[in-house]
Amino acid sequence: MRYLLRRLSHALFLLAGVSILAFLFTALAPGTYFDEMRLNPQIAPETVTALRAQYGFDKPLPVRYASWLRSVIHGEMGFSFAYNGPVAPLLLVRARNTLLLTITATLLAWGIALPLGVWSADRLGRLPDRLLSWATAGLLVIPDLAVALGLLVLAVRSGWFPTGGMASVDFETLSPFNKLRDLALHMILPVTALVLSSLPLLVRHVRAAVADVLNAPFLLAAVGHGIRKRTLLYRYALPAAANPLISLFGFSIGVLLSGSLLIEVVMSWPGLGPLLLEAVLARDLYVVVGGILGSTLFLVGGNLLADLLLYWADPRIRTESGAR
Amino acid sequence: MRSIVLLLLFVFVGHQAIAFPQEKIGKEELLVLPGEVGRAGGRLVVSLRGEPKTLNPLIAADARSREVIGVMQADLVHINRATQQTEPALAKSWKISPDGLSYTIVLRRGLKFSDGQPLDADDVLFTFRVYLDENVHAPQRDLLMVGGKPITVRKVDEHTVVFQLAKTYGVGERLFDGLAILPRHLLEKRYEEGKLGQIGSLATAADQWAGLGPFRLKEYVAGQRLVLERNPYYWKSDAQGGRLPYLDELVFLFVPNADAQVLKFQSGETDMISQVGAENFSVLSKQQHGYTMVDAGPGLEYNFLFFNLNDSIEKTSPDIQRKQKWFREVNFRQAVSAAVDREAIVRLVYQGRGAALWGLVAPGNRRWGNEKLPHPARSLDRARTLLKEAGFSWSNGPDGGSTLLDSDGKSVEFSILTSSTNADRAKMAALIQDDLKQLGMRVQVVPLESRSLLDRVTQSRDYDACIMGIASYDADANSDISVWLSSGGLHLWSPSQAHPATSWEAEIDRLIEEQMSARTFEQRKKLYDRAQEILAENQPMIFLASPNILAGAKNSIGNFHPAVLEPYVLWNVEQLYLKNGMENATR
Repeated sequence: MRYLLRRLSHALFLLAGVSILAFLFTALAPGTYFDEMRLNPQIAPETVTALRAQYGFDKPLPVRYASWLRSVIHGEMGFSFAYNGPVAPLLLVRARNTLLLTITATLLAWGIALPLGVWSADRLGRLPDRLLSWATAGLLVIPDLAVALGLLVLAVRSGWFPTGGMASVDFETLSPFNKLRDLALHMILPVTALVLSSLPLLVRHVRAAVADVLNAPFLLAAVGHGIRKRTLLYRYALPAAANPLISLFGFSIGVLLSGSLLIEVVMSWPGLGPLLLEAVLARDLYVVVGGILGSTLFLVGGNLLADLLLYWADPRIRTESGAR
Repeated sequence: MRSIVLLLLFVFVGHQAIAFPQEKIGKEELLVLPGEVGRAGGRLVVSLRGEPKTLNPLIAADARSREVIGVMQADLVHINRATQQTEPALAKSWKISPDGLSYTIVLRRGLKFSDGQPLDADDVLFTFRVYLDENVHAPQRDLLMVGGKPITVRKVDEHTVVFQLAKTYGVGERLFDGLAILPRHLLEKRYEEGKLGQIGSLATAADQWAGLGPFRLKEYVAGQRLVLERNPYYWKSDAQGGRLPYLDELVFLFVPNADAQVLKFQSGETDMISQVGAENFSVLSKQQHGYTMVDAGPGLEYNFLFFNLNDSIEKTSPDIQRKQKWFREVNFRQAVSAAVDREAIVRLVYQGRGAALWGLVAPGNRRWGNEKLPHPARSLDRARTLLKEAGFSWSNGPDGGSTLLDSDGKSVEFSILTSSTNADRAKMAALIQDDLKQLGMRVQVVPLESRSLLDRVTQSRDYDACIMGIASYDADANSDISVWLSSGGLHLWSPSQAHPATSWEAEIDRLIEEQMSARTFEQRKKLYDRAQEILAENQPMIFLASPNILAGAKNSIGNFHPAVLEPYVLWNVEQLYLKNGMENATR
C-alpha cells in the first residue's frame, strides 16, 4: 500500500512537471495561432489584436498557465482557438479511436510475440530460430512509414481494402453486423502496420528472456523429471522470464496513446495523430499541451501498472519493500 | 477559328439573356440557372485536407471551414466563379445611386431558410448589425468599413434595404460576395447574450442550424466526415424549372494530407478532387479509368521572392543591415529578377502546368492584368550590366568560379527562407539558388516551418530574403489591397509602415487609394495599371510563377466545370449531378 502511494505521488509530480514544460515549450515556439490571420487580407490587424486579447494572449505566461490549470480542474483542458471550444471533448472522441486501434494492435502483437519468442528460444541457434532472427531484424530496419505506405499501395492496387479512414460513408445505414465488418475492414491495414512495427522488438525480447532461463538448473531438473515440453516452457520457463517482459508490457501501455500517431496520419485514421499534427502546425497550443499530457498520463499509468504487476509477480520486490 | 469564337460568344450571350428573368413558382421568386439540365438524386463525396473547424461564418478563419460554409450559406450578390462577374443571388436586383454612395437592394420574395423559416429584410439588417458589431470580432467587419466608416443599413420595406457608404467604393456590389445572410430567428437570442462566437460548432444539432445555401447540416462524425443534405427550400431552379440542387447528399471526408486525398480519389472513394499538385496530377492523368483530370489554367496564386527592406530597427542585426545596402539597390533587385529563369520554374516545379509571372496580377485574373507590363526573357548579361552600374564587381576564385563583390569588396552572400511544408516553393528556392550562383551570388536556402517563417518575416523581421505565395480570394484589384498599401500587413518586404518609406511606395499608395474610390472600371484599371508598372520597375517583389488549377472528377459527374477561383470545383455544387444509370454504387 505504501509502495502504491509512493508511486502515485511520484506520478503526480511527473505530470505537473511535464505540463509546465509542455506549456513552456509550446509557448516558446515561434509564431502564434493568430499569425496566419495576419496574412489574411480580409482581416484587419486590429481585429487580430482584439482576438489575442480576448484569448488572454497579452497576459504573461504564469497567468496563462494558472488559468489553464483552472480549466483542467473544470475538466476542459483549456481552449482550442481553431475549434473555438474546450479541448477535452475534442481529445476524448479522438483518443477513443486511437485506443481502439492501439489496444487491438498491442494485444495482437503480444499474442503473436509470446508463442513465437518461446518457440524460437526453444530452438535457439537452429535454422528456424536463425530465420526468425533475420526476419525480425529485417522488419526492424524497415521504417514504419515505408510499411504503412506499402500497405496503402497494396490497398489502391488491389482494391481489397479501403485506403484509410475508419468507416465507409454510408456507415450509419448499415446493419450492426455490417458495421462491425466495415470497421474491421478499415482496421486491418493500420493494425497490420502497427503490429509489424512493434512485433520484431517484442519477439526478440521474449526470445532472449526465455532463452536466459532455459538453462537454469531448476529447468534442467524439470526436464529430468520428464515434464512435458509445453508445460515446461509455458508453466515454468515463461513466468521465470517474466520480469523484463512485464516492464516491456508497461511500456506498450505507455505508448498506447502516442505510438500510432504517424500511422494515423498516413492512414487517415481519425485519432489523435491528425488532430495533434494540425494543432502543432497551427499553434493551437492548448490542444498540443492536452495531447502531451494525455500521453504522459498513459506513460505514467503504464509504468505504474508494470510496477504493480512486478510487485505481484516477483516475491523479491515484495520482501524488499516490505522490509523497509 | 474566328467563326468558332464568335459562335461561342453568341451562345454565351444567349445564355446570359435567359439567365436573369425571374420565374415564379407559387409566390417564390426563384433564380433560374442556364446550363445543362441534370438528374435529381444521389450522393457526392469529396475530401477535405483536414477537418473544418466551425460552421459559424462569424468566426471561420480557415479555408476548409469557409469551403463548407460556402455550400450552406448564400449572399445577396454573388461573383460567378466562371465569368468572374457579379450576378444576382438573394438580391433580385440592385441599384447604385448616381453619387455612388447608396445601394438599394431588392430581395427575392418568398424565400425560406433551410429550416423553412422565411427570409425578409430584418434578417439582412440583423446580419449586417452582427457583422459590424465590434464586440463580435467578425472578420467581415473589416470588409464593411469603407473610407474608415462602417456601412449603414436601412430597411425600406419587407423586401428592400438600402446600404449607405461614407465614400464611393470602386469594388461596387462585389462587396456583398461571400457575406452570408444569417438566420435571425436562430441567432438573435444568442447575439443578445453576447454568445454568438460560441455557437455553430460542428457538433451543432442539425435542427439548430440553418442557412440559405444549397445544402444543410445532416450529420457530423468527429475526425471523419461531415454529411450535408439537400436544402429543399433552395432558391434556384434549372432551365426546366426543376428545383436545385440535384444532389441529395454532399459528404466531406476529412483526410490529413494531399496524398491521402489523391489515394481516396484514385481508389474511387471520393468523386471529385481539387487543388491537386502537378506531380499528383500527372500520376492521376496517366491512369484515368472512370475519371477525367482537368487543367483549368492558371489560378490567382502568385509566388514571389522578396528581400528584407524593413527600416533598420534596433532588432535588425548589423549583419542584415549590411546586406540591406544591396537589397535597397534597385539595380540589385532588377539584376536578381533578370537572372531568375521563370520558364525553368514553370517547367520543373509545375511540370509545365503553370505560368511565368512578371507582375502581381496572376494570369488567371481575366480583367486586371496590365498587358503592357514587360516580360523580359532571362538575361544574365543584363543582370551583370545592372550590377556593374551599381558598383558591384567580380573576383575570380581559385576554383574558377567568380564571386560577386559589393563596392566595399565584401562577397555577396544571403539566405532565402521558404516554408518547409510547401515543396513547390522549396524547389523554386533551389532553382533560384542555382540561377544566382551564375551571377556569383552565394545563396543558402533555409526551409522553416510555416508559422516560424511568418514570425520571422512579419514580427521579428530577422531574415535576408524569402519566397512566399499569396492566393487572391477575388479577381477584383481590391483583394490584394494589403499587399499594395505601405500600411498593409501583406506589404511583406516592409509591412505596416507608418509612412511610406520611399517615393514610389507613396505613389503606389496614392494610386491604389484613388482607384478604390474611382467609379468606373476604366478609371480604376488605368490607375491600377500604373501601380503595376511602378511595382515592376522597382521589383520589391520578384514575381516567379503561378500554378494552374488542377482538378478531376469521376466521369459520372455532370456539370463539372472547375473554376480558377475558390471553391474550385464546388462553386456550382447546386448544378452538379450524377449522370443517368451511373449512380455511385456504395462501396
